[in-house]
Amino acid sequence: MAAMDAVRARAWANSASVHAAGRASRSVLESAREQVAAALGARNPDLVFTSGGTEACNLAIHGRLALASTGEHVITTAVEHPAVFASLAAVCAARDLELTTLAVPGGAPPDPEVLRAQLRPNTRLVAIQWINHETGTVFPVAEYARVCRGAGVPLFVDAVQGLGKLPLSVEELGADLVACAAHKTGGPAGSGALWVRHGVDLDPVLHGGSQERGRRGGTPDVVAHAGFGAACQLLGERLAAQPRIATLRDRMEHALLVLGAVRNASSGPRVSTVSNTSVRGWRGEALIAALDVEGLAASSGAACSSGLQEPSPVLRAMHPDQPWRAGAALRLSFGVETTEIEQESALTLIAKVLARPPA
Amino acid sequence: MATSRRMRVLVAMSGGVDSSLAAALLKEQGHDVIGVTLHLWDAEGGDKVGRCCAPEDRDDARRTCEHLGVPHYVIDEREAFRKHVVDPFVSLNLSGRTPIPCVACNQQVKLSRLWQLAESFGADRLATGHYARIVDDGVGGVHLLRGHDADKDQSYFLFGVPQDVLRNLILPLGELKKPDARLAAQRLGLSNWNKPDSQELCFVPDGDVRGFVARHADAAPAERAGRSGNVIDESGQVLGTHAGIEGFTVGQRRGLGIPGAEPRYVLRVIADSREVVVGPAERRAQRDLHAEGVMWTSQPPEAPFEGHVRIRSRHSAAAAEVTPSASGFRARFAEPQLAIAPGQAAVIYVRDRVVGGGFIV
Repeated sequence: MAAMDAVRARAWANSASVHAAGRASRSVLESAREQVAAALGARNPDLVFTSGGTEACNLAIHGRLALASTGEHVITTAVEHPAVFASLAAVCAARDLELTTLAVPGGAPPDPEVLRAQLRPNTRLVAIQWINHETGTVFPVAEYARVCRGAGVPLFVDAVQGLGKLPLSVEELGADLVACAAHKTGGPAGSGALWVRHGVDLDPVLHGGSQERGRRGGTPDVVAHAGFGAACQLLGERLAAQPRIATLRDRMEHALLVLGAVRNASSGPRVSTVSNTSVRGWRGEALIAALDVEGLAASSGAACSSGLQEPSPVLRAMHPDQPWRAGAALRLSFGVETTEIEQESALTLIAKVLARPPA
Repeated sequence: MATSRRMRVLVAMSGGVDSSLAAALLKEQGHDVIGVTLHLWDAEGGDKVGRCCAPEDRDDARRTCEHLGVPHYVIDEREAFRKHVVDPFVSLNLSGRTPIPCVACNQQVKLSRLWQLAESFGADRLATGHYARIVDDGVGGVHLLRGHDADKDQSYFLFGVPQDVLRNLILPLGELKKPDARLAAQRLGLSNWNKPDSQELCFVPDGDVRGFVARHADAAPAERAGRSGNVIDESGQVLGTHAGIEGFTVGQRRGLGIPGAEPRYVLRVIADSREVVVGPAERRAQRDLHAEGVMWTSQPPEAPFEGHVRIRSRHSAAAAEVTPSASGFRARFAEPQLAIAPGQAAVIYVRDRVVGGGFIV
């Protein structure tokens, strides 16, 4: 916030303008780019600033597949964020591409060998998330990258949920395109970025001026991107807090399991900031509302749907044999700000609500 | 009903003025109000006016709650609504009856589910914007009474609501007349105070039951919409044809498609032979009805009794002798009644009190 206020006074001009004020904005924008690139472990600040994670995902998918030919092939998983699966669905329908969706049974990520077996000579793109947005499950994207690299197929990794929770180095990761968003790292909503490996072609989605090296037209929101850059400088603190957050989460989750909930994530690696369980007999939306009445903000599915909530498609895909889980989900988020006292009082509220007749 | 104690009250909110006012009045009385909108049906077609469960209605409910500073939640009950309301509505139409889906909705979807939600929200009571009253009988039961506004009275639609729900139900509008309700809504700053009343069936906003049944007949695979048949008179003489018995209602005059100077009315619909029997005005009136699927508000009566029976929502109850049977009742009206339509609810009143009701067979 402080970083953004400072920048707002200084970098008010169009960063593409040649005059002194414009150059000042440009300088702020490029510093932010270096800060974000550094947080991503990128050698070159070769990233496109976007309006957020959704645009970054759209840019990766549409930008890579805009020129794909009929019948060409794309691979993803059944549990992607809507920014990815809806983009893929749209471009595959428009260009008549074939989409392979890898299953995620029991919430466990696809084995890299399963991915390898699905690759074809005409596979144009593989799009897989790093961290699942509902269960926090970590996908072995570095291994996927090795498989893709071996076959010469570009890999796009949606890293929106991961930045700031696990250390990231896009160079070591080996993917070709990596999306991230400021608001998941303590930065402002309204800024995101797509890192693009040097030499990887990308068509713009937003056509216009030649900003962002011709890959994203439109005057950039320099203040928001500066906020992203500033947040990236504090990522070390966020990463250091993860073990403490995991302890809070695990304590809460254990208590929930004792109260009769079941865990929706697989037993493999996951980030520390989320607990996703289902409580049989309850409908997720009713449980979330009952908790909200008591003053506890929780969630049932992705927060990106407004008003009416469909049962989580992610949990449906992870637990196809237990469809009730998707409609009965309780997703609790934990952050660097979460205290032990908050965790304890949240648990008290949950226990109070779960003691009532379920609805 | 003692409402002086501060209670947590779940208010069912459709987005209309009545439920908004119910919430506002309870809030004004100092209760902790929680607004809940059940999403029951996805509206069809592009007509935005009066669509069922339209996003605009949810927005109105949310806006009211924001205005009142109370939480608002939307709960998805489309599955239950289809199963308990829409599918039976389609089936009954295809079997030549005139269903009253609002009764099934109140009994089996709305109030029962809302009370379940209320309990899970730790609420003490449930409230709706219905024009009807509930009074404590002083011996552990509650009675359902007509609303004070005779034009708006909705007790007819609530006859089957079980005692355990009625006992916890608050109807803040029961003593009000509709124009006064609008004034109160205006006074309380509700932006929808002059929103038009909903008309027709909420899920058939254009009133085209025949078209709706045709689109949804797949829900009843044994039956099929649009099977033609004959329009006959009482002697069996064929007067014309029709394109399907669904949508015909006893007492209906328009849309029969038969020529002739004398107006004719639907007297009966015979589902098996797909015949619609019509006759002149004087043949419409009947003195007897038989109802099944009966719900009594308290103890089922054993002996015949005098009451008033209402045979459709826009009918002022008529005096009748009611004879209870094992699963239903018979009513013999003092005066013949027009258009006793199978499928509609017959609700029995003793003075202002609903004692029970069932479905006309």
